[in-house]
Amino acid sequence: MTRPAVYVEGAALEISFADGRRNLQELIFDTVRAAVDDSGQPMHEIDSVVLAAHDLVDGRSLSSMVTSPAAGAYLRDEIRYGDDGAGALAAAVTRLEAGHARRSIVAAWGRSSEHSPDQFSRSLFEPFRSRPLGLDEFVLSAMRAQLCLAAGDGVASARERASLRRINNARANPRALRDGGFRSAPHFPLDDADLPLWADVTAAVVLSTEPGPIRLAGVGQSSEAYNFGDRDLRTITSLKTAAERATADAGFGADAADVAEVDGLTLIDEALGLEAIGFAAPGTGLQALAGDGRCNPSGGGASGYSPPSMGLVRIVETVLQLRGTAGSVQLRQPRRAVATGGSVVAGQTQTVVLLEAVR
Amino acid sequence: MSEPVAVLGVGQTTYVRRHPESSAADLIWAAAEEALADAGLGIDAVDVIIAGVAPDALAGENCVEKTAIFGTGKPFLRVNTGGVTGSSTAFAGASYVASGRARAALVVSLERMGQASTSQRVFNTIFDPVYEKDFPLTTITMAALRASMLMRVYGYRERDWAEIAARNYRHALRNPLAHLHLDVTPEDVLDSPLLAWPIHRLEACPMSEGACAMVLGHADLAVGRNVAWIQGMASTSDSYAMGDRIRRPEGSLVDLLSLQRSAVRAYADAGVTDPRKEFGVVELYSPFSSAEAMTYPALGFCAPLDGPRFIQEQQEDTSLPVFNPSGGPQAANPVSATAMVRIAECALQVRGLAGERQVAGVRRAVATGQGGATQFSTVCVLGTQRP
Amino acid sequence: MTELVSIPGHWDFDYTYFAGEAASRFFAELRNTRVMGATCPDCRRVLVPARSFCDACFQRTTDWVEVGPEGTLETFTIITAAFPGLPEPPIVMAYVTLDGADTALVNLVLALDLSDIGAAAAALQRQPRVRVQYVPEPQGRITDFAFVLA
Repeated sequence: MTRPAVYVEGAALEISFADGRRNLQELIFDTVRAAVDDSGQPMHEIDSVVLAAHDLVDGRSLSSMVTSPAAGAYLRDEIRYGDDGAGALAAAVTRLEAGHARRSIVAAWGRSSEHSPDQFSRSLFEPFRSRPLGLDEFVLSAMRAQLCLAAGDGVASARERASLRRINNARANPRALRDGGFRSAPHFPLDDADLPLWADVTAAVVLSTEPGPIRLAGVGQSSEAYNFGDRDLRTITSLKTAAERATADAGFGADAADVAEVDGLTLIDEALGLEAIGFAAPGTGLQALAGDGRCNPSGGGASGYSPPSMGLVRIVETVLQLRGTAGSVQLRQPRRAVATGGSVVAGQTQTVVLLEAVR
Repeated sequence: MSEPVAVLGVGQTTYVRRHPESSAADLIWAAAEEALADAGLGIDAVDVIIAGVAPDALAGENCVEKTAIFGTGKPFLRVNTGGVTGSSTAFAGASYVASGRARAALVVSLERMGQASTSQRVFNTIFDPVYEKDFPLTTITMAALRASMLMRVYGYRERDWAEIAARNYRHALRNPLAHLHLDVTPEDVLDSPLLAWPIHRLEACPMSEGACAMVLGHADLAVGRNVAWIQGMASTSDSYAMGDRIRRPEGSLVDLLSLQRSAVRAYADAGVTDPRKEFGVVELYSPFSSAEAMTYPALGFCAPLDGPRFIQEQQEDTSLPVFNPSGGPQAANPVSATAMVRIAECALQVRGLAGERQVAGVRRAVATGQGGATQFSTVCVLGTQRP
Repeated sequence: MTELVSIPGHWDFDYTYFAGEAASRFFAELRNTRVMGATCPDCRRVLVPARSFCDACFQRTTDWVEVGPEGTLETFTIITAAFPGLPEPPIVMAYVTLDGADTALVNLVLALDLSDIGAAAAALQRQPRVRVQYVPEPQGRITDFAFVLA
């Protein structure tokens, strides 16, 4: 039994901050409308909408009531995942492969100017053993950073260079946030530059089984335990397994990618992510981020960040790279790409997507 | 490429106001383990887990489903579509199986509103903060707005709502899992306090918590097993603003266009042409008894103006399907799970495993889901025949 | 038998909701005692409250038009049970299609005789004509107006 191939027909991304001229629905409409326009398809050819958004980010319970119409859901089959955008995309792919939909919008968003990312992160911790301690997701990143830095001076210098390169990429990326945004207070040994730039993010793609220039070659997903104490600090096991599954699906892996857009809450997580997917050898993730031009040319989390949209943002960046329309961060003729997206809590579930430019 | 999808196993906790003895993870796994045992499978056989949890505010824990993931490394996604969460979750799992990416999918939905002191304040936050927060818009008042319109347009009376409610409670007496076991007459329902005209308290649903799980799988896993087949499934989302749907020519607010469209697609996939004759059981997600009335024409049971007459026919005509043998959401409404419970109950009926509430000879059943202020509607047709 | 633990908690999140230019303009017009709708260039519906896009056609709206001040009461409910944080019952809430609009607007209906709920309901079922009544000092909020029988 063969599954039909799935293609990306349209893509759009906007990173802004506190634009008072538009409410959340209008922000979403602008990006989804742009993705549909980019696909060249009329709305009546679209029969599915798959969304990724969190009620507590949007600030309304069952937020998809007001947001799904803004994403094109009127009288269509629509589902909202309270999960990362790349995970929602993986689910959309199954709908197309199963023939449950012909053409689907996939959209994700998060508006940091309307909610408190710190409050949101702290509320992810259960009230019995962890919330009273004031834990947030950055605690895991900090513990990982501590472990990495304990490995030696080479790591500290790689981290500095990776940080600088990330800032420069963000400056060059036409889609990065220019004004505004904010950062949380860093937990030692993280510093400001390691942290994501909280921003207002909306991303959307249009998928179908109709052949086109950008093919989704492989998709893989996995998960790991909730408690930090049950997780491996050095290896993001859920990301490693997701990558293995995507590789089996595609017939090639991240090591064959010409561009890698890896999601991570902090610089450290991006570096460990590169190792987990097999793009960088174990222990060399920071070096890769520091010196390998194929890694996060978009600037990653420094360009603007808001869960749960980031996996879809990484995917859109790779689509633009494969098309040759990434602007001043464009790499030279990439043919294969890998993009990842992690969910709360601190990347507990992961999705890896491998893409290919079809000649 | 669409592989047929079987419901291999069903698991449910009891639905009660509070489960103080259980954590969220306990509830999820209690239902999941029962479904796996029913399916004759271990967790290793499962290729994907989809969890349905509706508004986090009801549990007071953000993404509470994440606490239930252990070290098995399964692909995992969380669905939140309000009242249709349970059915959206089931449909998502079914797509994984139908696409061939999973041979078995574990779908589980959890309602943890037992931890909430009040649900209405949470439900008030589903409405637009700019235009609607200042008004007494709640799930109850929104239902009342529709109920009064049904009375004006289609001739329903207050007594009709009471009769539907009494029937649901009567059925629930035979469902040990249901939250409410009330022996009440329509008069008792009409005597209960008026919440928002024309809705009385006993026509509304309780705050229930609990979990429901199903194992969905490929036909290979169904060999030699007693299963129910998903013969049709469809979901439709409508405009948010109820005001946009009142005078709409395609179908007014009470014509429930989203349910109608879902039914057309699900029935077409299932080959259903005569719902009155072909279904042995109907499980409706109508959290208010008056909301049931909108489903009858949308599901093809009668013409809209014959709705009041259809309520009487249900009591007189034994060839019609039995409505809500489980008692429906009036007797238990664990919001995130309710739409999945409807599918699970239909699956049990088709498989002959519904115990004291079993209806004889069910070959086909239909389950509906409802979310938002009738914004989201799902229809799932199950049966003994493999598609 | 272990004693079961339960921990009290309070769910407290802070939000700032940007109303956006369209809603802000709608509210500014309310202060001028005008209810505005916006036209969809595809379906030609006049959408009230005025908004920047039509979700049915997935298109941006164009012209803004004033609607009302009278209209038809489409459907209603009479709220008789108190809810936390909401006004004292009985209160009437209704959807009204103002003249010139294609969508209905929700608000309270004031100055009704609610001494006999059943009789009040029967009267409202006849879909009376209503009109917009503004508060003495409009603030640019949806509560600047309510409906009264015309």
